[in-house]
Amino acid sequence: MAPHSSFDDDEDIDFSDLREQFEVRLDEGLDAFVVVDGCPVVPEENRGKLIKFLSKKLSEVGKIKADSVTMPLNAETNKTEGYAFVEYETPEQALAACKQLSGIPLDRKHTIAINKLTDIEHFGREGRIKEEYVEPEIEPYVEREHFRSWLSEPNARDQFVMYRGESVGVFWNRKKDQPEPVVDRQHWTESFVQWSPQGTYLTSVHAQGVQLWGGPSWKRVMRFAHPAANLVDFSPNENYIVTWSNRPISIPENPPPGFPLSADEDGKNFIVWDIKTGNLLRSFTSLEAANDADEGVKALGRKKINWPVFKWSSDDKYVARVLPGQAIQIYETPSMMLLGKKAVKVEGVVDFEWSPSIPEGKGKSKPEQMLTYWTPEMNNQTARVTLMNIPSQTIVRTRNLVNVSDCKLHWQSEGKYLCVKVDRHTKTKKSTFTSLEFFRVKEKNIPVEIVELKQTVINFAWEPKGDRFVFITTDEAVQGATVAPKTNIAFYAPEKIKNGVGEFCLVKTVEKKNSNAIYWSPKGRFVLIATVHSQQSFDLEFWDCEFEGEKQKPETKNKEVAANLMLMGASEHYGVTDVEWDPTGRYVATSVSMWRHTMENGYHLWDFKGTLLREEHIDRFKQLLWRPRPPTMLSKEEQKTIRKNLREYSRQFDEEDTFEAETANREVVEARKRQLDEWRAWRERVEKDLKAQ
Amino acid sequence: KEHEEALARRTIIEKKKEAAESALLKKEKEEAQQRMIRAEEARAAEAARVAEQQKKRELERLRQEQEKIRKEELKKQLDELSLDTKIDVENLEDLDSNQLRAMKLAQLEKEKREMADKLRITGKRIDHLERAYRREEVKILPQDLER
Amino acid sequence: MRPILLQGHERSLTQIKYNKDGDLLFSTAKDHVICAWYSVNGERLGTYHGHQGALWTVDIDPTSTLLATGAADNTIKIWDVKTGKSLKTWDFPTAVKRVEFSEDGTLLLAVTEARMGFLGTLVVFPIIVDVEAQQADAPLFTITFRESKATVAAWSYLNKYIITGHEDGSVSQYDGKSGELIQDIQAHEIGTAGQITDIQMAPDRTYFVTASKDKTAKIIDVDNLKVLKTFVTDTPLNTAALTPKKDFVILGGGQEARDVTTTSQRQGKFEARFYHKIFEDEIGRVRGHFGPLNTIAVHPQGTGYASGGEDGYVRVHHFDKPYFDFTYEVERMKA
Repeated sequence: MAPHSSFDDDEDIDFSDLREQFEVRLDEGLDAFVVVDGCPVVPEENRGKLIKFLSKKLSEVGKIKADSVTMPLNAETNKTEGYAFVEYETPEQALAACKQLSGIPLDRKHTIAINKLTDIEHFGREGRIKEEYVEPEIEPYVEREHFRSWLSEPNARDQFVMYRGESVGVFWNRKKDQPEPVVDRQHWTESFVQWSPQGTYLTSVHAQGVQLWGGPSWKRVMRFAHPAANLVDFSPNENYIVTWSNRPISIPENPPPGFPLSADEDGKNFIVWDIKTGNLLRSFTSLEAANDADEGVKALGRKKINWPVFKWSSDDKYVARVLPGQAIQIYETPSMMLLGKKAVKVEGVVDFEWSPSIPEGKGKSKPEQMLTYWTPEMNNQTARVTLMNIPSQTIVRTRNLVNVSDCKLHWQSEGKYLCVKVDRHTKTKKSTFTSLEFFRVKEKNIPVEIVELKQTVINFAWEPKGDRFVFITTDEAVQGATVAPKTNIAFYAPEKIKNGVGEFCLVKTVEKKNSNAIYWSPKGRFVLIATVHSQQSFDLEFWDCEFEGEKQKPETKNKEVAANLMLMGASEHYGVTDVEWDPTGRYVATSVSMWRHTMENGYHLWDFKGTLLREEHIDRFKQLLWRPRPPTMLSKEEQKTIRKNLREYSRQFDEEDTFEAETANREVVEARKRQLDEWRAWRERVEKDLKAQ
Repeated sequence: KEHEEALARRTIIEKKKEAAESALLKKEKEEAQQRMIRAEEARAAEAARVAEQQKKRELERLRQEQEKIRKEELKKQLDELSLDTKIDVENLEDLDSNQLRAMKLAQLEKEKREMADKLRITGKRIDHLERAYRREEVKILPQDLER
Repeated sequence: MRPILLQGHERSLTQIKYNKDGDLLFSTAKDHVICAWYSVNGERLGTYHGHQGALWTVDIDPTSTLLATGAADNTIKIWDVKTGKSLKTWDFPTAVKRVEFSEDGTLLLAVTEARMGFLGTLVVFPIIVDVEAQQADAPLFTITFRESKATVAAWSYLNKYIITGHEDGSVSQYDGKSGELIQDIQAHEIGTAGQITDIQMAPDRTYFVTASKDKTAKIIDVDNLKVLKTFVTDTPLNTAALTPKKDFVILGGGQEARDVTTTSQRQGKFEARFYHKIFEDEIGRVRGHFGPLNTIAVHPQGTGYASGGEDGYVRVHHFDKPYFDFTYEVERMKA
């Protein structure tokens, strides 16, 4: 299984090899050579023809020296080997060939891959490739198969990554016990770490760019040379990655051979990359004229811009950003061309969000992606929220709103509902209040339900995969007051009705709190309400929305609601800055990062009901992130069968757990016996010796 | 002379008669007075008795009122306990506030225990469900990797 | 276990020592005064005046006749325990951080500070355990620390070795007669993060316990310097003591005042921590101090302990029955 912490040759994981690439190796004289792989295998007599054909193709980017295409023959079969060596006139042309011609189809069956000969030599020299010439693709198919190996852990444990001091380590959660290290490396990252959304890759961020790591050996999978990258965002299905730097990229006038970026990237801030091939798809400049161009944006914990800027549709097909006040630019992948060749013009547009899932196709219409955006009041027109299908750009619903100061768009995780949090001002503009507008996207004509409030909502969160939500309200802060105003927590659930989802009803309000953050279990049902980033209070409240005990009465009306709310536990974690549920909703980690303050850095581990399992104080602790899991591979039916037979599984697990506990106990007792015996034997010997002296 | 004597005697007799009459009158008067006093006394006694009785009744009513309030109070407290243990409401006299408080505490303790127990079972179930899912998932993982 | 609070010092405590019988307790603090107390009830027996600077260290000879103290006024003084009279003063170029009588009371070691061009040293004086006697002026020998200065030191059994604990986390073993270096080990984290803050010998002086800023304490064999046990805590340690009678160690420490940014007491972890000496498990904590624990001393008969804090208090504890009853199952089985 996974290897334990290794301080092997990969310990120094910077871009030194990239740096080496920058060095001009003229003496080798091989910089102009490329290896073309993936050519058809032909008998000797057809070789000339193939070389001619290939030469033509390869000449598109640069001049090939006469007779410089070498296509070796296999001695046994007397056929070509499927690859060729080619010499260009200049190293620049060779590089251009690698960049532009690699991956293009030669014919229907053959796609060529082009690599610089020096690269291959380079890899060969490092011992990564044994023979002089083997499949030059850095990412062989076999290796990819292991990327999800962590999912096969037999005890259903989960991993988390921890960044503290200069070390980054991945560990198995062992509840009360010391986490079991999987890998631990010094200087693995320079600013922060981040998991890809399905947990396949661990991202490290360096001055030279971003690297992805994965597989059982935690080898580097890919790197993206975006100098001084500050922030990273993945597409939901891990096909693409967006990197951003506050510093515009600058390309030297005469880039050395092997320089990873081309002149196209000069002055750009964003780069969209293809993860599998490592190819740069397109780069963009920031729209906000480098306002954030200071060093303050170093880490996620301190981000200033609204990240992500480029937002992905749930199927990775589109990535879009808003051109404030003017349009939404929607790009198609992988071409990165504007959808319909132009941006979607929306006068005044402030913000937009993709629905997190494709709506199920109803009737004949082909399911489309959906996004929603809002525009403020302007030109005698009210503010407006619009839902639009993509790619058809059909508007499916609009709603006009008055007295709007701001809107926030909150999609429920399955795209069933959209909650628009509308901050409104009274006519006199003296005070503000919030109304929540709920779009029932999956219902006919998308009806809207409104919850009007007298206070402002400072935080709102949908239950993942659920119909419930929690929000926190507060009165406006009194000017000059040193303490933040008290907050109220409101729990809502739909009324229980026979078919469908009933009206959203208030289940409970908890008043006069300091809480400011809502953390739903990723599986729904449990929610942790916390006070984070506060100087005075550090409350953690663990709520169950489906308590299996006596039915609690909801606060309003005599309706039956689809919830039974119960406070399972309440606690504190001094100085808490971050809260993270494990992907299964069984455990939750609260942590204190030195990025916020340096008091009591470390983490606490709780179970879902608020029992403290473990606390660890770690100097210079920065991050703890649970490794996400891809969506389950089990079908709905399979899951149902498992649930039906849970009793049977449970019996086995109980047996296993008892056995393990007993073994562990026995081991502890045995170890103590041994320690005691050793100590006593040692004492006896020492005392005897002492007498003799 | 005889007449005189007779007259004198008559006068004496008259006088005696008069005296006797006035004595009788006086005596009757006195007796009447006595009767009146007695009657007065009797009436006063009766009034006092009635007053006493009334006072007694009033006290009794008050006591009953208080008892009722106390009972209601206890009952209310008991209701708050959501009456897990069946208590003979008729026997409320045997209970005092302290006992009730103790019961309340016990009740709270019990609720806490019950909640802990319920949550323990919930926790075990979500853990086992996750493990069961994974156990099945591991079996199809190789297929997924082939994709 | 209700502690007796000894209020006599005005500044933070630096060292506490019981005498051999355990009836007396001596304490030094940064306020220039040495206090003597009856350990049973905390009544103050007396004070010793004469030092001109903060006191760093104190020890008493096995017969409770002489008291030795070292201070920031660059002197060691020998006192008549009974009268409080200063009998002898040795002068040094730098402060004296640690003094200790040998097992038989005939030798006194002292650790001096490295400062202003002077290297840290360890000096050994011959001692005549008699208040009338004239003590020697010159040391028997001096060890000079050229690399990392010693912070603490102690005598082994039969004065065979001198063990020193250093600023860089190392522990050295010197010949007790000649002062020659025999061996050294990197017992704790390397560098000032692993600075050794205390060394206390077991009753028979065949092993000792160290306390370090690296948040651990270790039990080390005095003969071969083998680390036998390690106790891991979550706070820098200032002191560690071994308990006779029970197989425990008591550790004390806490985040230093300058590192504690809030006034909250829970922040600094100002607790005495009890660990099982053989199993290395934490078994309990005793709260009470308002600042880091600087020094812990255990009653020679193992009936109690005293702790001195940065807060200026000495807390004397007498163990009660549950303390003595506490045993692990394996201990009962093997009893």
